[in-house]
Amino acid sequence: MPLTLRITLVILPMLLLLLLARPTGVSSQPSDQLQPGFNQALAQVQRAESAGATSSEVAQLLVPLNRAIELNKQALQLTSPQDAQHRTQLLNQVDQILESVQTQAGQLEITASRRTLINKIGAYTFGGAAALIATLAYAYGLSFWHRYRIKRTFQMKVVPK
Amino acid sequence: MSRGNLLAVFLILLIVFELIVYVSTTPRPSEQFFQLYVLGANHMASDYYPGNNSNIQPNVDVRWYLGVTNLIGSVQLVTLRVKLGNQSIPPPNDTQAIPSPAPVVAEFMRFLQNNETWEVQFSWRISNATAAEGSTRILELGINNETYALQGWSARNGYNFRMIFELWTWNLQSEGVQFGWFAGNERHAAWLQVWFNVTTPSSG
Repeated sequence: MPLTLRITLVILPMLLLLLLARPTGVSSQPSDQLQPGFNQALAQVQRAESAGATSSEVAQLLVPLNRAIELNKQALQLTSPQDAQHRTQLLNQVDQILESVQTQAGQLEITASRRTLINKIGAYTFGGAAALIATLAYAYGLSFWHRYRIKRTFQMKVVPK
Repeated sequence: MSRGNLLAVFLILLIVFELIVYVSTTPRPSEQFFQLYVLGANHMASDYYPGNNSNIQPNVDVRWYLGVTNLIGSVQLVTLRVKLGNQSIPPPNDTQAIPSPAPVVAEFMRFLQNNETWEVQFSWRISNATAAEGSTRILELGINNETYALQGWSARNGYNFRMIFELWTWNLQSEGVQFGWFAGNERHAAWLQVWFNVTTPSSG
């Protein structure tokens, strides 16, 4: 069998497997009760969190988000036509909160990632400095030890047996 | 000590110290999960029924506390779904992460920080129930001062109703809620149920 054919026979099934690969299905229920902005807000807050935002900083974002859930719930309870205006007002308020949270979370992500970077640089610089100090201390200790040994050698007394 | 030796010592110490820095600044992977609990009226895993009698009469207040702790490692949007079932309705399936087909009575939703515990007081009462031909049907449930009309399940002589509490989480990819949660590629589910009987005046 020619070499090119053998290579083709190996590569072809691999390509087929790659083409047939599909992401695992997630059986979730599409929520028709929440504004679409909730998804973006949660994603943005998670990005800020993974960038290194502290728990108190994240907590400040969750207060308005939980308020938005309450308002969303109140809006959904208004089903009669005469409440339509109030419902719209509440949903607009929810959208405003979500937009505000997204903006704040975006800024927090930038601040947190900068802070994390500075902290990392600081930590690695500290590691380098500690290594330098330890090397100098080692060298000084070694030279001190040599001098001590030499001094001790010259202080030796020869005692004839 | 020669310069070469000094340089070698420095390089070794540099590697050691930078490794220490790397290990101390890199977060360790931890198990990702939620805790779900139901406590009785006295905030303990007891006293779930008034007078410790699981036969609940209409218009008698029952107080429980539902709690969720987020240990996923990031902010999560969590939903607690309360379902009313009877003996024949299938419970949620843990291994396949399939929720119970029992009807949803109420749901509570909240954004939860990592390591945060959220507790909800769950005060409920059977506002309206009928009993006919040996079958008891709950028509209305009052939960936290709100009344929920039910097309729910009936139980023979009012025995073996159950309140099912399911933990659902928001899935960013599908932009919807999902039963349980994903930890890596593994699907997990958390749910609880509390059984009770309903005693209507006609059913004795």
